Amino acid sequence: MSKCDQIKGLLADYAVGGLSRRARSRVEAHVETCASCREELRALERTGALLDAVGMEAAPEDWEHVQARILARTRKRTRPALRFAWAAAAAALLALLVYGGVVRLPGGQMIDPEAAAVAEAETELRSTMEDHLAAVWAAPLTDEAAIGLRLGALEEDRS
Amino acid sequence: MRFGAALAALLWIIAGLPAQAARESWSQVWRSEAARHSVSVSGTVRTMTVNGEGELSALARMVGGGGKVRLDYELGQTRWSLIDDGKRLIRLSPERRQALILPRPALALDRKLAERNYQAVVTGETTVVGRPVQVIEIRARKAPPGDHRVVWRLWVDRETGFPLKRERYNVEGKLTSGTEFVEVRFGAAVDRSMFQVPRGWQVVNAENDGGPLTIGQVGRRLGFTVLVPRYLPPGYRFTGCYVGQRGRRGWRMAELRYTDGLRVLSVFQRKREEMRGGGRGHGRGGGGSGRGRSRGRGRGAGNHGGPGFGPPGMEEMTLVDRGSAKALRYLGKERAVVVIGDLPAEELMRVARSVAP
Repeated sequence: MSKCDQIKGLLADYAVGGLSRRARSRVEAHVETCASCREELRALERTGALLDAVGMEAAPEDWEHVQARILARTRKRTRPALRFAWAAAAAALLALLVYGGVVRLPGGQMIDPEAAAVAEAETELRSTMEDHLAAVWAAPLTDEAAIGLRLGALEEDRS
Repeated sequence: MRFGAALAALLWIIAGLPAQAARESWSQVWRSEAARHSVSVSGTVRTMTVNGEGELSALARMVGGGGKVRLDYELGQTRWSLIDDGKRLIRLSPERRQALILPRPALALDRKLAERNYQAVVTGETTVVGRPVQVIEIRARKAPPGDHRVVWRLWVDRETGFPLKRERYNVEGKLTSGTEFVEVRFGAAVDRSMFQVPRGWQVVNAENDGGPLTIGQVGRRLGFTVLVPRYLPPGYRFTGCYVGQRGRRGWRMAELRYTDGLRVLSVFQRKREEMRGGGRGHGRGGGGSGRGRSRGRGRGAGNHGGPGFGPPGMEEMTLVDRGSAKALRYLGKERAVVVIGDLPAEELMRVARSVAP
């Protein structure tokens, strides 16, 4: 995955203020030098501003009655066996879409199986590296100050 | 006759001098190692370390004595502290008022092994923070021609034996970490409460069963047979077996730990069926800093699907260079293995493959 791809995966979260401090500074450093990512971030921020401006419209006063009538009608029409079949089909379709990398998560993130495997590898490497550093801490001649710096950085990555 | 005897004596003295010097330097190193734990010290250090993404450096306040040490860091907006109270390694996060207790496995000091694998040589004298120091180089005795031999460079205080400056070089000869006092005070009274978790803070224990345990005990706890690598780099010996931290998906790994006297080699493993998120036919490999990728095909196996669907069978590897150590994650047919150490990538691969072919 290129640097731009990685940063683009973070932009939506950045735009809504959902990133850790470290990830935020990574995005900021990158968009300063990359026109394409900068443009994408601006577009995301413009969309966010538009949505904020529209605001939430209140539901009509009789909404609860309307909702109850719809639910009652749906229950009447759908037999239990049929409902199960629909649920199974929907689950299978969702699994297919997720597996095929088609479904987007809220926030615009794509579920990419390859990216998930890479993230898994990174998590495993991070936790094993932490254990390794704890072992190195106890080794002769060790540089505790430098290892402490590494452990702090790992923790920051994790959060 | 007399001339011959004098010549022989002279040759004996010349031949013996370097060995004598090396022996003398090891005694300085061990004195320094003892001082590192026993001397009461407080001061400020400038420290740097190289990781995969570049160089990190920070100033830290250090207080130590009586086998305990505390380091307080400030890096940009982030502050944290590390306490080694001799039994536990505690990471304090003031922002969250949280103390994370990390495993602090004791690695028995094996002087003979260190002296067999490394040579300690005094290379000069200078001053650090105005104090006279001896410069000592620790060099690997066996290294392929052209490889960098210096592993540590120490600036040891002449009076106390305490190391005032340290530099660590990796197997490729790259400086990977360094720490130097910018101000220091010896013999100051140390407040014991500095090495304790502040009252009212949340204490989180990293999931670790302590140890070392026997390989059989670890296997029983994890429910699989822990395999021992059939290949080890020259000079390394086994020191203990541990149960590693729990990963994000709930699996835990067995850790076999090795040392050559100074460096540590960690070999982690788990059964591959426990992995629920990998299994796609891709991998990482290659060398250099940062990360590289390479595709691995496991014995004619094809693509085995994505997250949650991947049966074991596909070879996959990830190599991460963190400066002072490289980490290689290898997914063999049935096992996931992570090998971490300061070794060339090919050596890590050899170790990993000898666990899980």
